[in-house]
Parts: sequence; structure tokens; C-alpha cells
Amino acid sequence: MFKRLFKIIIIIELIFSLSCTKVVIISKDYSVKRFSLSIKKHKRRSINHPGRSGMLTQREMKLAKVAWKYFENNYQPETGFVNAVDKYPSTTMWDTASYLGGLVAAYELGIIEKNEFDIRMVTILKTFNKMDFFRNELPNKAYNTKTAQKVNYANQPGEIGFSALDLGRLLIWLKIIKERYPEHSNGIDNFVIRWNFCNVLDKEGTMYGAVLSADNKVMYVQEGRLGYEEYAAKGFQLWGFNTDKASRPEPYSEIPIFDIDIPYDTRDPRKLGAHNYVVSESYILDGIELNWDLATDKSSNDNHHTHKWMAEFAQRIYKVQEKRYYITGIITARSEHQLDGPPYFVYDTIYTDGFAWNTITEDGKYVPKFAAICLKAAFGLWVLWKTEYTDLLFETVSGLYDPKKGFYEGLYENGNGLIKTFTANNNGIILETLLYKVQGKLLKFSNRKSLWDSVIEDEFRGEKKCFPNERR
Amino acid sequence: MKIKFLCIFFLIILSGCGVVVRGIKSSITSFSNSSLFHQGRHGELTEKEKKWAKIAWKYFENNYNPQTGLVNSVDRYPSTTMWHIGDYIAAMVAAYELQIIDNHEFDERFSKLLHFLNTMDLFFGRLPNKVYNTINGSMVDYNNQPEEIGWSAIDIGRLLIWLRIARERYPHYSEYIDKAIIRWNFCDILDNCGTLYGGVKVQGKIETYQEGRLGYEEYAALGFQLWGFNTEQAFKIQPYHKIKIYGIEIFHDSRDPRKYGTYAAVVTLPYTLFGIEFNWDKVDDSSSPDTIHTLPIMAKLAERIYKVQEMRYKKDKIFTARTDHQLDEPPFFVYDSIFAAGYPWNTISDTGDTYPKAAIVSTRAVFSLWTLWKTKYTDKLIKLIENLYDPERGWYEGRAELTGGYVETITCTTNAVILESLLYKKIGKIFKFKPYKGFYEVITKDIFRHPSGCFPPQNKKCN
Repeated sequence: MFKRLFKIIIIIELIFSLSCTKVVIISKDYSVKRFSLSIKKHKRRSINHPGRSGMLTQREMKLAKVAWKYFENNYQPETGFVNAVDKYPSTTMWDTASYLGGLVAAYELGIIEKNEFDIRMVTILKTFNKMDFFRNELPNKAYNTKTAQKVNYANQPGEIGFSALDLGRLLIWLKIIKERYPEHSNGIDNFVIRWNFCNVLDKEGTMYGAVLSADNKVMYVQEGRLGYEEYAAKGFQLWGFNTDKASRPEPYSEIPIFDIDIPYDTRDPRKLGAHNYVVSESYILDGIELNWDLATDKSSNDNHHTHKWMAEFAQRIYKVQEKRYYITGIITARSEHQLDGPPYFVYDTIYTDGFAWNTITEDGKYVPKFAAICLKAAFGLWVLWKTEYTDLLFETVSGLYDPKKGFYEGLYENGNGLIKTFTANNNGIILETLLYKVQGKLLKFSNRKSLWDSVIEDEFRGEKKCFPNERR
Repeated sequence: MKIKFLCIFFLIILSGCGVVVRGIKSSITSFSNSSLFHQGRHGELTEKEKKWAKIAWKYFENNYNPQTGLVNSVDRYPSTTMWHIGDYIAAMVAAYELQIIDNHEFDERFSKLLHFLNTMDLFFGRLPNKVYNTINGSMVDYNNQPEEIGWSAIDIGRLLIWLRIARERYPHYSEYIDKAIIRWNFCDILDNCGTLYGGVKVQGKIETYQEGRLGYEEYAALGFQLWGFNTEQAFKIQPYHKIKIYGIEIFHDSRDPRKYGTYAAVVTLPYTLFGIEFNWDKVDDSSSPDTIHTLPIMAKLAERIYKVQEMRYKKDKIFTARTDHQLDEPPFFVYDSIFAAGYPWNTISDTGDTYPKAAIVSTRAVFSLWTLWKTKYTDKLIKLIENLYDPERGWYEGRAELTGGYVETITCTTNAVILESLLYKKIGKIFKFKPYKGFYEVITKDIFRHPSGCFPPQNKKCN
């Protein structure tokens, strides 16, 4: 997926005068009041859900505000985008979704007011509705956050393709927002109506990303491996698309690690070049946003997971990390993450490419020294599993922030200190996890009819963009 | 379970009989060799099987070097290793027991080999070099150029096994076998904890490294055990990890190839040789019938090695009998594995590069599976490879998995394992333990004449 863009970018310390930087000071009393108001209004608080649940403690509230700092610092008021990596004016749709998650959480937790939330929403929706797409099909993999121009890997105007996984995550967050805030539903639907779905999904429901060949030809290649693939597919499903093949766990196999059978994708990295990494993030996001429920499940309570294998696999992903700690003493919360120096990005995995606890670069090089406790993963495990081990995870990571910049990306397993990078994805997911504690499953269906519903119901509408129900 | 119980019961009665034991020994032998008590195939060889054995022996006729008594490791290439000398003894014993050669030929060949072993130059005067030239008997490197390069504990382990098998079977050679071994120095090849070490020459000095990964490590350790050495660490199946293939848990060595550079490939041969030669029994087990394995863990691992290959055929319809084998083109040698370097059915060179085209149905793996497991699947396997030979030169290495073509390399190991497998069919477990006091026992127990090369008994503590 494309949020890895920034591995390639050699981050020259770009010093921005961040005109937008503002400090929102909200008195504690106010925030609590605002918060209880929101509960009353939306009846959103879910007392009964797995893992941690309840009001945020003062300490947790402080952490939420720290994470939001990132989105204050990196906001681009001209476009409504937020930089994916601190001070670097570029982003992807995945990171944008993480920002939207952070934004919703900040509002729901009472860190920002309706005024700021709405201004941020309408600004980014305007950008969504006018920005150029890759070949007029779908949002490009990367955009310049200051100009909203589609860009290449070097953040120069250009285009490079689209990522089905990034778009899938964005669709999940667009759905969450429109179900929660009908006032923004039109802007969101108009954006999605601009999309052309003909190449991102085939008739059998397989997802494809677009890449450019050396001679600038578009190639559509199957995208997604076990975990991320099914998570992203749910985004498309929530908008009515068929993702039959992408949503199946197959092809997969299991490898016992500390006697826990860890599922992994068996599409061969040696042949296909795509790594079959098993990390925490996809399972955590599916848990906090979708409660490991099927996309079609609009009603079941949060203690019941209707996407059974996903819930089961997530359980094992948690257990194996806990067990690694109890057996080896290594505190473990793994996911893919950024680095503050070359190679800028690693898949820091539970399993990939044949080995347990493998840490590799994009091109498969083994780099164990970059193994780290990944903060977003630690927070995710903490909120979804209420155990002594996740208490320890919380203590390990809850102090690892710069009060002026947000949470650090990670803490090296080998004692080599912090990964001194700040990202939208990390801070956005941390905010999401805190909101989950208060509200449970973040997707709350409203059962309201929207513009999108009426468009896809009209089978004579004549557009040929492969929307659901379209005559092919 | 019932059989097991019956059998133990029977043995208890017998051992209680004292002097009577000897008298009814022959009847026990025939009883314990009955199919009820025998793993896999058992019985006299059919005409066809006799023909197979004779073809395999062709290799040892063609590649025999009467000047040194050595046999080439690959057809027409005048070089050999201690592993291949082990193969050759296996082939000789099988050919003799299957009456392909007579006592005269056996004696001549074996005596020449013993003479070689008692006179060959040793690496730094301590242990057999990794490679010898079969024409002049000198130590050589892998390009067959005069050089001493190091030793392999795994290769020496196999030679020790077959010297011991020959010694138990033909005790009149015992003295000369023992003398060959007493020339060696075991101080560097095993440590006090029973770990096996290989050696190499680096800037004129010996450097040792832990040698052996799950499978071959345990198999080679048997050789040292037979001569009274402590191989405790090497013989443990730890450290291992498990991987599931078709739901079957396969154990593989967990020493990390990314760290050590050694790829711990899971292949068939170490497990089947362990079965054919030792019935997955402890080395001093002279009495249990072949259906009882006194090293049950090794029997279990071997069973899974068989099962997972059968399962691949059943599920994916790909004939599978895999082991490490030679190639007639670069990289010349591959671990054609069940699992290696993170992947099932991975075929890699010793540097870890994948060579999927080098995957074969290995002739020697087929024969060893066929003799140990009497199943429909091994019937099919043998049918698949039964014509893979040149009647004048011996059996080919195998059939290419991707194309069905022959891999026409002809090697010492393949032809020896075929002979061993056929001998197993006739007599069952090949190693028959007989406590026997020979020159080796006399000299290692004599505190005044005890040889200097760290021979047993050693009472040094592991630390």
C-alpha cells in the first residue's frame, strides 16, 4: 500500500512556517461537558465492547491531545490535507484516512469544537471534489498537501497510479463520517461518485492497484495480502461493491509460532515480489473501526463478531505477541513503520517471507536492528485486549511523545531508543484507539438514505463507472 | 498397541529364560523378521528387484579404482569424500549380502579400502580431509587439486556408521577397522557437550565451526555414538521450529540461516537412512522388533517426512520424493527440500538461491521411502522411476518435477542407497548391535595405552 511512499523520500529538513499552528486550549470542564453532550446527542457511548471501555482518564485525555498536536502542526489550510510525515507536504489516501480518523476522534473526544471540525471537513471535501485523479479514474497514490496536485514519488507534479488498499481504507472512513454526520454526506458522496471503479475491482471481486511501467503504460496488478486485503475490501463493500475474492482469506496457510498457528498469505513473495507480511495494524483497524464484523452487519452488538475468521486471526495475532513477551522477555507490538533514516520504512513483522519476527525492507533485505515496538500497534492492542500484557504495553509507550509534535513512531527493540519520526498514520490511529475505548466500534450505521444510494439505485443513469447494480 | 504389548511381553519371557535364549535365538530371528514385526517392505527380493540391485552395483564396478581401493563419488569423476566411502561400504555390504558379489570379491575390495584408510594422509595429521583423489589417494580440494582443506563431521559420521556396521557383521576385519579409527584425533570434532564441529583451514590454521542441522546432525551423531563418544548436544532435536504443511507439523532446525548462512533444509535422506540402518532405534538396542522404535521421536519425524510428501501427491497431484542431490550443471548441488529458508518445497543451492527447475523426484529418496513404507503411494513412486537407469552405468539421479525429463547424473550415493534399501527389504534393520570386545575396546580401556586423540571414555564436564 502506498503510505510507504515516504520511505523513498529523503527527507530534507524542510522548515515550514506553519501559519496554521494554533493551540486549542479547552478547559477540562468544558471538554467533559462537551463530551457528555455528544454522548447524549448521538447515544454513541458503548459500554459493552471488547477490550478497554469507558470514559477516558485524565491521563488518556492528555495523550489524545498530544496525538492531535500532530494534526495541528501539519494541517494545510489551503487544501484541508495534512502531511503524512511531519513537515513534509505530501500525503496518500491511506494517511488521509488516518487523518480523518484522528479528526473524528478529536471532535468526539471534545478536543476540537464543531466549528473547527466542520471547517476542516468542508475544506478537505472541496479538495476531494476538485483534485485531479490518476488518468481520470481514481485518486492518485500521492498528493502535494499544499497545492492538492497529484504528484510522483519526489512530490513533483505527476502521477504514479492508485492503491486499492489506500482507497479501501479511505472508503471506510468516508462511510464512518457520512453515517455519523449526515451534514457532510453530500460532499462525501459527490467525491465517491467521481470515482471510476472499473479497474480497481473485477467481476469476481478481486482488487487491483494501478502502477506505471517504465514506458509509462498503466498496469493493473492484484493488490493486497491476507489481513490488509480483506480490511480494505470492506471499504468497497460498505459502498455496495462485490469483493468476493478479495474478501476470502484464501490462499493462506498457517505457521506455528510459540505453538500459535499464525495465518499468512501463501502467494509466493519469491515469484510475485509482494511480501506476505503479518503485522498487527490491519487486524487492529478492522477491530476498532469495524469490530471484526462483516460489512453487511449493521446491528450485532460489539461483543459478537460476525466476521468470524477475522476475529479469530486477530486473536492469534495478539496472543503470539503476548506469548513472545512471556517467553523471551521482549516487549512486542509489531507493525510496518517509518524510520528516521534510510531505508525510511520497514515491514516489522510477526511473520513474513518465510521467517517469524522478520524485519525487512521493501526489497526484502533482513534488517533486524530496526525491529521496534510500534506505537500505533501498542495502543491498538491495549485498547482491544484488556490484559496485564497490554497494561505493560501502555506503560511502555504512553510517555513516548514530544508534547509539541505528537507521538513518536516507535521504540527500538534492541534498546537503541526512539524512532524520531512523527506521522499522520501513527497519531491518527492512536486517536482512533482512544475513541474506541469510549465508543466501541467506530462505524455506527444511521440507516439514512444518501445521495450515493439513490445514484446506485438508478439503473438507467447511463454512467459507465462500474458502480454497484450497473448494467455491464 | 496390541502388537507392541504382545511383543514386549514376549521379550520379557525370553529374557527371563537365561541360557535358553541362545538355543531359541534362530527362531526368534525368524519370528521377529516376520511381516508382523517388520516396518515397510519385507521379504526375499523378486527377480525384478535383484535386477535393480545389480544395476546399482554396476556403478561400483565402473567407478572402482584398484590402485587405491576407492570409488568415485560421481560417475567418472575421480574424487571422493568420507560420506561416499560410507556409501561404498554400504553398497559393498549389500552387494555381498544380496549375493551380487562373492566373498572373494568382497574381501579384496574391503581389504584394499581398509589399507587405504590406514595409510591415507590426514588433515593436519588429525582427521580425514574433506576430499580425496580416488586415483592416487591424495588429499585434494573440491577441484581435485592437491590440498588439505578441512573435515566434515557429517561425512565422517556416515563413515563411522558403516565401519561399525561392517565390524559387527564381519568381526574378522574388526582389528583393521579399529586401527584406522585410532589414527584419528577427535579433540576438535566433538566438544565436551557432544556438539559436532567441522573444520577448515584458514591462513594455515584450523578453524572449527558447529556443523549439522536437524536431520543430518542426528544421523551423523549416531556414528560417533557407536564408537562410544558423547554426542549429547548434537543428538538433541533442539533447537527446532515447527511449520505446518498440509496440516502436518514438520520440524526444522531453528538456527537462523539469515544469521549463520547455513540453510537447514528438511530433506528425506537423513530420516530414511536412520530408519533403514537403525530402525530409529537407540544404537545399543539389539533386541526390539522393527515395529518398535526406541527413538520414537526420530520415528515420528520420519513418519511426517513421508506423510507430507504423500499428502502433496494426494492434494496437489505432484509426485514428491525429495532430498539433496547433485546436478550436472551449476550450481551442481541443491537442497531439493520439503522446507528450507522459510518456504515449503523450496529448492535452493547452499547459498540459499532458489532453483525451482532443479526439483526432482529423487531416485534415492524413492527407494528409501519405498522400502520403509509399504503403501500405494510408494508403489506409484517406484513405478515412476523404475526405468531411470543406464544398464551399463547405474541409476540416474531422478526425474525432473517440472518436465518429467531424466536427470542423468549418476552418483555413488544414489546407487548405494538403492542397494541399502533393497538389503533392508531382505533383512530389515541393517545394524545389528553385538557387544564385541575388539582392539578398539582393549586399547581405549587400557590407561597406559589409551590413544591421545580424545577417545572415550572422556569424563570432562560440559560447560
